[in-house]
Amino acid sequence: MSRRRRHFVAGNFPPAARIGALAAVFPLLLVGCASKEQKEQVGESSEARTVEVTVTTEGCRPEPAKVSAGLVRFHVTNQGAAAVNEVELLAGKRILGEKENLAPGLSGEFTLRLEPGTYTLYCPNAETQRTDFTVTGTTAASSSAGAAEATTTYHDYVVAEARELLEETERFADSVRRGDVAAARELYGEARWHYEAIEPVAESFGDLDPAIDARADDVADPAQWTGFHRIEKALWADGSLAGMTPVADRLVADVRRLVDLITTQRYQPAQIANGAVELLDEIGRTKVTGEEERYSHTDLVDIDANLNGAKEAYEAIRPLLVRKNADLAQTIDQRFESALAALAPYARGESWVAYTEVDTAGRRAIAQHVDAVAEPLSQVAALVG
Amino acid sequence: MRAMVDVSRRAFLGTLGIAGAFAGGGAAGAALGLWGSPSPAAAGGSSAQRIPFRGPHQAGITTPAQDRLVFSAFDVNAAAFDQLRAVLDRWTEAAEAMTAGRPVGPGDDDPAAPPSDTGEALGLPPSRLTITIGYGPSLFAHPALRPRRPAALKPLPPFPGDRLDPLRSGGDIAVQACADDPQVAFHAVRNLARIGRGVVTTRWVQLGFGRTSSTTADQQTPRNLMGFKDGTRNIRADETEALDRYVWIGTESDQPWLVGGTFLVVRRIRMLIEAWDRDSLQDQEQVIGRFKVSGAPLTGRDEFDPPDFSATCGGEPVIPRDAHIRLASAEENDGVRMLRRGYSFTDGMDGTTGELDAGLFFISFHKDPEIFVSIQRKLATSDALREYLVHTGSGLYVCPPGLKGGQTWGAQLFG
Repeated sequence: MSRRRRHFVAGNFPPAARIGALAAVFPLLLVGCASKEQKEQVGESSEARTVEVTVTTEGCRPEPAKVSAGLVRFHVTNQGAAAVNEVELLAGKRILGEKENLAPGLSGEFTLRLEPGTYTLYCPNAETQRTDFTVTGTTAASSSAGAAEATTTYHDYVVAEARELLEETERFADSVRRGDVAAARELYGEARWHYEAIEPVAESFGDLDPAIDARADDVADPAQWTGFHRIEKALWADGSLAGMTPVADRLVADVRRLVDLITTQRYQPAQIANGAVELLDEIGRTKVTGEEERYSHTDLVDIDANLNGAKEAYEAIRPLLVRKNADLAQTIDQRFESALAALAPYARGESWVAYTEVDTAGRRAIAQHVDAVAEPLSQVAALVG
Repeated sequence: MRAMVDVSRRAFLGTLGIAGAFAGGGAAGAALGLWGSPSPAAAGGSSAQRIPFRGPHQAGITTPAQDRLVFSAFDVNAAAFDQLRAVLDRWTEAAEAMTAGRPVGPGDDDPAAPPSDTGEALGLPPSRLTITIGYGPSLFAHPALRPRRPAALKPLPPFPGDRLDPLRSGGDIAVQACADDPQVAFHAVRNLARIGRGVVTTRWVQLGFGRTSSTTADQQTPRNLMGFKDGTRNIRADETEALDRYVWIGTESDQPWLVGGTFLVVRRIRMLIEAWDRDSLQDQEQVIGRFKVSGAPLTGRDEFDPPDFSATCGGEPVIPRDAHIRLASAEENDGVRMLRRGYSFTDGMDGTTGELDAGLFFISFHKDPEIFVSIQRKLATSDALREYLVHTGSGLYVCPPGLKGGQTWGAQLFG
């Protein structure tokens, strides 16, 4: 399976695509010459298998009822079951994917990346509510229970962050539409935090990250500049939200699309490890220099989010690492602690001082602490993959 | 005649592949001398040469000065002090490999992990790489090392005219990497920094692009950026008596573990090049005390003619009272001599003035740092050259002796 940081969607990148989005993205693709079998296990979007799910009053019937691991598209058709308007795929009690508002006669679909195991198709209110669904094959992840747990833990974290991101972005967008500069300035950092905590995941969707997070110099045509930083400029540099309503609308739509995509994503332990490193690299690339939040100077919000996001990713795979190299885990634990402690002097209540108040020596100290975590962390993917 | 010798030595080297046969600094120096030229091109055969990593003294002090320098100072993170010994042990292993022309690490890299060596020196010859380590006064502030501190190791006093940048001065640990290929020297420092990440952090780095000293009689005296020959009267590698007297720490030391070591002084000396270039040739020669083209003292005809500081002309000394070579000379300093090993540097442009930021990265080695302090005090107050110089960086470190077989820097430092 892939352990490198690559795109998993070979998307079309608009000219505005950021270097970050192009060059160093959450890993999901295979290294060049993986076998066909491996490809099927990981599954690329073009190779998704389709399962036709027919919903009747009796229950839901998958065809086929057994597929090999990888990307699976569930095409759901309600053939007149008035009582049933929803289909979910469950792993135990956890909802992996669902199609709601499925009135009789309508159809819809959802796509999931599935690992080998037994799942349940759940059709609430049908005569038979639960139907088994089997995924065959072996993947590196499925070979150990710890790996599956890591995958689940991180998936849940990312989904939770994504949902908060959407909520906060909606509140932020509302204040922008109202033209309330003071409120929007308050809410900006709140939304940004949740984005920065999971940024490499967002970057894996190609065009979404540039649309949401491009900076002024990332875009070829200033008229096409959208996302958080466009509004940041309006709020802090221009002091006016005039003309920002369409940008806010687009931002909410893009974030909503991101959340939908994230819900179906699963990450293997090595990908999670590389994603954690990627989050730390983000700090060194644009945050520690103060380029990222050049108008609002809220860079410490981003740095804190990147660091905490990396730590959450690491915590998810930590049990696997401990089995392989407990000393390395201990080193990384300590260094995360030191890095977080290095930020502490800049905390002000629930927020942070403006980054302009962090002098050169302070910025260097932050960068060095982040490097100190990232170096041993870069050894983890090979151990847990 | 020289050409014939030249060819035969090259052929000899070519047959051997590497010059590991030239074990020991003295023999290596002698072999080098037969090429007679210090330039990288002419030294092509010597780039394959390996300088032994272990020995009674560290390499990189009396080793014939290589053409390039990467100097790096590190600070130890207080919270990770307990891991310093392990880092120094890993540094020893890596330094021994790199000076032998081998990559860092076991060489069986997992494709899913970052490679253990960064790779830019793969396929390059050892290039006479030396890695010399020194420890600054601040390192010995830690209780675990306090008993190991030599009394003479304390920060250099301020000198008149100093304009020191704290981010280009000091540091707990200094690493001097010298090689004939800049990429080999850079690779060495980069990999040590990587190994130390989290335990030590890089405090400052200085690149040197051309040597300004020769440490053997057969190396041609190079010119510094003022266009003058520098280091004509340096202590040479074969002057064992002078080395014992002025350079190597002896049994008189309060720290027996440092016998065979030396104190390392570095000074980043910015030259005010634009002003210097506006000075007349005659005045430049008066400031230095030598003729510019020949390098001869103003009282002589040949570079190696000893300067006659008593010679006068019309009642005035021929070599002026404030000439650089007079004030720095052994004659004027109770016979004291220095081993210098500096490099020309440039860091591009001074962003404020648009003038070139260039000069001499001065490096010297002493049995006792007082030797440097007394001479520098004199230069800083009286030297005619001081009008064209600004000292912008400074450091004093103690270099332990060379490592014995199987010994590591960690074991040597902590005892």
